[in-house]
Amino acid sequence: MEIRFSAAEEAFRTDARAWLEANVPRDRRPVGADLAALRDYDLAWQRRMFEGGWAGVSWPREYGGRGASLMEQVIWYEEYARAGAPEVTTTFVGLNHAGPTLIACGSEEQKAFHLPRILRGDVVWCQGFSEPNAGSDLASLQTRAVIEGEELVVSGQKIWTSFGNVAEFQELLVRTDPEAPRHRGISWVICAMDSPGIDIRPIKTLTGDQHFCEVFYEGVRIPLRNVVGRLNDGWRVAMATLGFERGTAFLSEQIRLARRVEDLAALARSVPGPRGGRAIDDDELARRLALARAEVDAMRAMTYRSVSLAVRTGVPGAEASVIRLFFSELVQRIDLLALDILGPAAVERRVEGPGARWADAYLGGLSQTIGGGTKDIQRNIIGERMLGLPR
Amino acid sequence: MDLTFSPEQESIREAVRSVLADRIPAPRARAELAPDPGLWREAATLGWFGLGLPEAVGGAGYGLPEETILFVELGRSLAAGPWLGTVLATHALAAVPALREDLAKAVGGGTRVAVVDDPADELGDATRPSGTVRGVADGDVADVFLVLGGRRVRWVLARGGGVRVAVRESLDPTRRVADVSFADAAAELLGAEASSLRRTALVLVAAEALGIAERTLEASVAHAKTREQFGRPIGSFQAVKHRCADMAVRTEVARSIVTFAAVALRDLEPGAPRHAQQAKVLATSAALANGHDNVQNHGGMGFTWEADAHLFLKRAWLLEHAFGTRTAHLEALAAPWRAG
Repeated sequence: MEIRFSAAEEAFRTDARAWLEANVPRDRRPVGADLAALRDYDLAWQRRMFEGGWAGVSWPREYGGRGASLMEQVIWYEEYARAGAPEVTTTFVGLNHAGPTLIACGSEEQKAFHLPRILRGDVVWCQGFSEPNAGSDLASLQTRAVIEGEELVVSGQKIWTSFGNVAEFQELLVRTDPEAPRHRGISWVICAMDSPGIDIRPIKTLTGDQHFCEVFYEGVRIPLRNVVGRLNDGWRVAMATLGFERGTAFLSEQIRLARRVEDLAALARSVPGPRGGRAIDDDELARRLALARAEVDAMRAMTYRSVSLAVRTGVPGAEASVIRLFFSELVQRIDLLALDILGPAAVERRVEGPGARWADAYLGGLSQTIGGGTKDIQRNIIGERMLGLPR
Repeated sequence: MDLTFSPEQESIREAVRSVLADRIPAPRARAELAPDPGLWREAATLGWFGLGLPEAVGGAGYGLPEETILFVELGRSLAAGPWLGTVLATHALAAVPALREDLAKAVGGGTRVAVVDDPADELGDATRPSGTVRGVADGDVADVFLVLGGRRVRWVLARGGGVRVAVRESLDPTRRVADVSFADAAAELLGAEASSLRRTALVLVAAEALGIAERTLEASVAHAKTREQFGRPIGSFQAVKHRCADMAVRTEVARSIVTFAAVALRDLEPGAPRHAQQAKVLATSAALANGHDNVQNHGGMGFTWEADAHLFLKRAWLLEHAFGTRTAHLEALAAPWRAG
């Protein structure tokens, strides 16, 4: 047992740190409604990483990635967060989901066309999985695709498509065999977002921003060669990459959370407390801050354990769902603590000043226990798959 | 970086677990609740008291991570006896070359040691302590008290002059507590550093708490799979399933931070003192909450003396009050933020 990294891994860290220090953009990432500006910013950064040889750290070298080991990925994401490098949002689906799916299940032609474009930062991908009646129960999705000659003709509706309005491509799950058992009649297809018959409508969320979209499909024609994997085998294709590249990418979020606890402690030293003095002088707030840091440290330990188990066994373990659930609820505890520390300033939504930042974080954090499977579904998964409790 | 257990560590776990399973029958409440001299002798023969000591002084040559494996198992089985004090004592004695005989005796199971935790030096820090410390675990069976002061570590013979032990009725039937009074008692000053022993103690108590969290999770899951109501196993109901899932999350959190803290302390990492306190806080939280949920999950049976559920919860409370409560540790952890 060892928590130190090897000399070779530390050398990798030195390289990563040096490159990030020299290359992380100094201009601030655009915030607010201008998604096109956000997209441009993210793609420019992606291009820079590509030119520096740091695009797709977890992708195999033969597809242009860095081919980093799991331990190197841990180090990369730690350094990425440490350097204050941009959060991965518009490029997330391409890099961490669609790309790895194509690598695992795509044809040579699909890989040759799409993978370099994702890595170079030429394109944005979005996800077309959820539907109004297929959220937590994704396999009940109803968007239909009928084969006509060499094409699929798609009709239906998707929802919660992040950045659908600034994306070129979509990983789209459609029902190609309505007679088959529900997991068997689904196909995973590449959909060009500029296809005729696609209507994209932004959804304003409770934070006020509009990066979520509803996407409507009316007779949208998609070439059959855009099916990834086999026809009607889309469920397996979709599940193939819910593995580890997401696990390590997640580390950056964890480290950002650790930094937020430190920021919050600094804030608590500067704002008044509920009974006079500073907020940090209040025993309860101080204890909650100490507990938050303990839980953040425990989460890093959990992730390290999980990564080292994966290195040993070659597969991600069931504890990944534990980490996910714990993280999502920890974020919310920390957001709530922030508002309690802020006191009256919590209700002001100023653009400048600490109040706006934390209130926005709190509101945005409400989605943590909804997106990608609600906390209820996560508890079902832990109960059934990890503990073996009956359905 | 590797936080998995090696095959060698797994075999230590298996060996300890099988000895404890043979010696301590379940359900625990029907068994003899006092320390079992046969188990104690076997533990000495198997080298449990010197697990983390160098081979040169008669130990097994392992470290704190392996000792946490032992204490997780002791927690899982609710083993009675002054395990922690005796293991800590071997660490304290190993630091003093002149005390090799005492060390050999303790490693050989010939000395039962209870810890008197006195971080604020209320007994004074001279060689002749005076005063009373409440809630000394296993104080009634100790041959020696290891007195951990603010800085100093002292060794006081329980049956020497100036020591009085008053047994109190313990919340936990498997671990007795006593008030220990010293009146100008003769103490031997050991060279060890109290803060360092206390950090080791925090991790080992946390490990014992982790054992409670693990065992209560397993008991709840086993019960939820077999107990049927409304024609189906109660584990199929989300209310029960989700409570079990929360128990699993707490256990995983505790296991991770305890393991991390043990390795950090062994390797003298700069964050180790903080992680030792965090491990104590999170592992006792897990033990208390899982202990409570486990009573709940067993329904009416869980409320009986006959079922083991209450014993785990009660042990968790003793662990919470060993070496500082959660409140005390969290305030200590927050102190640097509050200074200035």
